[in-house]
Amino acid sequence: MLLKVISYPYLAHLFTAFFLIFFLVSCKGDIPPLEREEHDLPQDAEVSSTEPGNYGGVLVTAESQQPRTFNPLVAEDAYSSEAIGRFLNGLTTYHPIKEKVVPELARSWEISKDKRTITMELRRGVRWSDGEPFTADDVIFTFKALFDQRYPNRYMGQYTIAGEPIEFEKLDRYTVRFTTARPYSPFLYVIGFIGILPRHVHLEAYEQGELLQQWSVRTAMHSPEEFVGTGPFRVRSFRPGQRIVYEPNPHYWRVDSQGQRLPYVDYLITRYVQDRNTETVLFASGQIDIASITPGDVVGVRKNAPLHDYTVHHRGPATGIRFLWFNQKPGESEAGKPFVEPHKLEWFTSRKFRQAILHGLDREGLIQSVYFGRAELLHSIISPANERWHNPDVPRYPYDPDRALELLREEGFELDGNGDLVDSKGNQVSFQVYASEGDDITPQILSTFRENMRDLGIRVRIRYLDFGTLVARVSRHFEYEGAMMGFTGGADPSGGRAIYLSSGRLHLWNPEQEEPQTDWEARIDELVYASEETFDLEERVGYVHQMQEVFSEELPLLYLVTPHAYVGLKDRWENVRIPAMGSVIWNIDELYLGQEK
Amino acid sequence: MLSFIARRFLTMIPLLLGISVLVFILMAIAPGDFLDVARTQEDIPAEYIERMEEEFALGEPWHTRYFIWLGNVVQGNLGESWIYRVPVTELLWQRIPATLVLSALSIMFALCVAIPMGVLAAIYKDSIFDRVSSMFAYAALSIPEFFLALLAVMFAAQTGWFPTGGLSSVEHEFMSFWGRMADYAHHLVLPTIVLGMGSVASYMRIMRANFLDYIRSDFVTTARAKGVAEGRVMFVHVLRNAINPLVSASGFILATLLSGSILVENVMNYPGLGQLIFEALMRQDEFVVVAAVMMGCVMLMLGNLIADLLLAWSDPRIRLEKN
Repeated sequence: MLLKVISYPYLAHLFTAFFLIFFLVSCKGDIPPLEREEHDLPQDAEVSSTEPGNYGGVLVTAESQQPRTFNPLVAEDAYSSEAIGRFLNGLTTYHPIKEKVVPELARSWEISKDKRTITMELRRGVRWSDGEPFTADDVIFTFKALFDQRYPNRYMGQYTIAGEPIEFEKLDRYTVRFTTARPYSPFLYVIGFIGILPRHVHLEAYEQGELLQQWSVRTAMHSPEEFVGTGPFRVRSFRPGQRIVYEPNPHYWRVDSQGQRLPYVDYLITRYVQDRNTETVLFASGQIDIASITPGDVVGVRKNAPLHDYTVHHRGPATGIRFLWFNQKPGESEAGKPFVEPHKLEWFTSRKFRQAILHGLDREGLIQSVYFGRAELLHSIISPANERWHNPDVPRYPYDPDRALELLREEGFELDGNGDLVDSKGNQVSFQVYASEGDDITPQILSTFRENMRDLGIRVRIRYLDFGTLVARVSRHFEYEGAMMGFTGGADPSGGRAIYLSSGRLHLWNPEQEEPQTDWEARIDELVYASEETFDLEERVGYVHQMQEVFSEELPLLYLVTPHAYVGLKDRWENVRIPAMGSVIWNIDELYLGQEK
Repeated sequence: MLSFIARRFLTMIPLLLGISVLVFILMAIAPGDFLDVARTQEDIPAEYIERMEEEFALGEPWHTRYFIWLGNVVQGNLGESWIYRVPVTELLWQRIPATLVLSALSIMFALCVAIPMGVLAAIYKDSIFDRVSSMFAYAALSIPEFFLALLAVMFAAQTGWFPTGGLSSVEHEFMSFWGRMADYAHHLVLPTIVLGMGSVASYMRIMRANFLDYIRSDFVTTARAKGVAEGRVMFVHVLRNAINPLVSASGFILATLLSGSILVENVMNYPGLGQLIFEALMRQDEFVVVAAVMMGCVMLMLGNLIADLLLAWSDPRIRLEKN
């Protein structure tokens, strides 16, 4: 009896609450179409060459992290930069299909004979999203801010060429002139990195020394209308940890061939999901329009494709590179201990030793076992995804243990009676490799590496470290023998100079050298500088190809494999053009909703 | 009463100081620092990293940084988040409402389920219901919260009855007021259950044990002998006495829920404090970590204080002060 007395009202209430929720949720309805503001088109509007489409539709994407700031001077991570790029434009931009720099806020440019002066003609009649006109003053303001000592930012160093900051001046309302201390061919590429800021919005904060406090996540939450830009969107709302909603900028400067102002979509929504697996689940259940898919998930996600009308596209090799390397840093720590024991340093600085190690690693096997065949061998420091710059004809090191032993014998190594490899002085060959934990593929690669090395008579110890510890060890304390890491790639090779140059901070095997310590490193420095001073594209590519040859011959980095990249995309979007690298929705302003299939 | 509360607050100060020192030491011992991520990006210039090291005083030993921080705290400034460049207090306030709502709902859910179940298990001791409910309790206690959260996400993805995570759906800001409320409620169901499940089990066991103690006591026999209705004996006389330990136990629950929510929020993608703290810890965003740990500590102490006050109110035998 008591059971009845207690449980009845509880159960009844519980059920009522549930039904109420379900009822209300079921009638929540769809997002209403956007009412667009009408504004005159700018004089220098850019006409898109793609097929004209129709207004409407909501595009939902997902990111694993949210922007930390909306201020380009503060941003240092890709997630913030991406959000900023939705509402700010640079002077130029990189076109991932044409693989070259194209105009954005600058309509055209002229390079002087001595290649040091670039005069840029700005797009006339462009307005900020609040209706104010965009002029050369905004450009000058932006560059003045980024060279202001009160506001440290990453661009300051990037725009310092041969030790001198870029000079900039306004010639008239729509013309600016830049001068570099030396000819610098990546200039047009790098100048597009910084989003041009609206002077009329930030002048006061700039003068009061508070520019870095502007446009934070706080602004995004409480007053997103303060984000004034020239880009395709403006921010409608931002909820930390949940999502950001963009709506079209009614003053955007791109139109289609029928004179309709872009973008076509009514809303662009980016959801923040902490976990990559959740992103995959959301895509496979039709809740987001686009997601990158890891090689291991491709089969599973494709199974659901007929249910939710999407396609998993193969993008080819990924843009990043992954590698092992040996510490080649001579000298000793403050405690008087050598960074690397002298006899080991001798091995690691031997080219043939490094080549032998790579010959001894069964990378073909790794592709089958770890990536299910959805990967390829990496041969060069620039990923094959970067078609313009990648050199396919560099020395290669396929799995060949016999060749590996032959190379080792040439260097005086011998197998002793126990099957262990010893060097000419009788030292047994063994080393320790550090790697970062928290990635399910690294351990698989490294255990194969250890087994393969065992076959050569080499003993390898593997230690997993926290990422921070690994970075500190290889870039500050230099106390390690071998390590494994990866880099994400950029479009123009000038982004990799910190790795390539012997003075570079990420010249991992022996960073920040005052003078290049080997002939081949001197040669690489020469090639990098030559490529940056050459304006002829073919010639530049030639230098970068030569640089890759030297790297693959000397093998300071032992390249592993590069997985293939996959992206899932709903079929209902038209005008999609998937580039080899970079964002798939790089032309988000041109995407439109096709007929339901 | 007031002096009791004031005393409680005063004892908090040395505790908070100790905890903040501990956090600074631990953060200093932990390998790497906030700028590690920037250091591995090939296109961030070295000069910029040096400027940042200087600005964040990362080269200084931990005690120097601690005293700089302490000086600011005394002036009411908890510092700025290095990741977001926003005052720490502001950042925490963005997330506190979501976490408080989830915690409050979980406590309510736990109490609403645990009390009747515990009472029934006690009244019908050794019945099928008692056996099944204790089995459930042991199972719920032994399943870690994050695993339960994973199961919940899988359940949501498989059935489509509930959202797979978050606090609101993408259409949220385009809905009517009641639509929005329903949207929140729909999103809160699974996280509430996941977070409350462990407490349901432990509350139920406490409730059952206490109820059994009092059911056998003399005043129950007296009441029954007087001819009081069985329902009234159970729910007025016994329940009233048996509930006290539950009140004092709920002082700790705020703190346990907070730590539980770090895992649950990250798995279920719930935009609360847990997510923020996790990110700050992984990136070593020092001031956010210190502030968050201190806030957890304050919450634990406040929870205990409230529990004590509630106990004094519900049990007339307890006096907070000696008269």
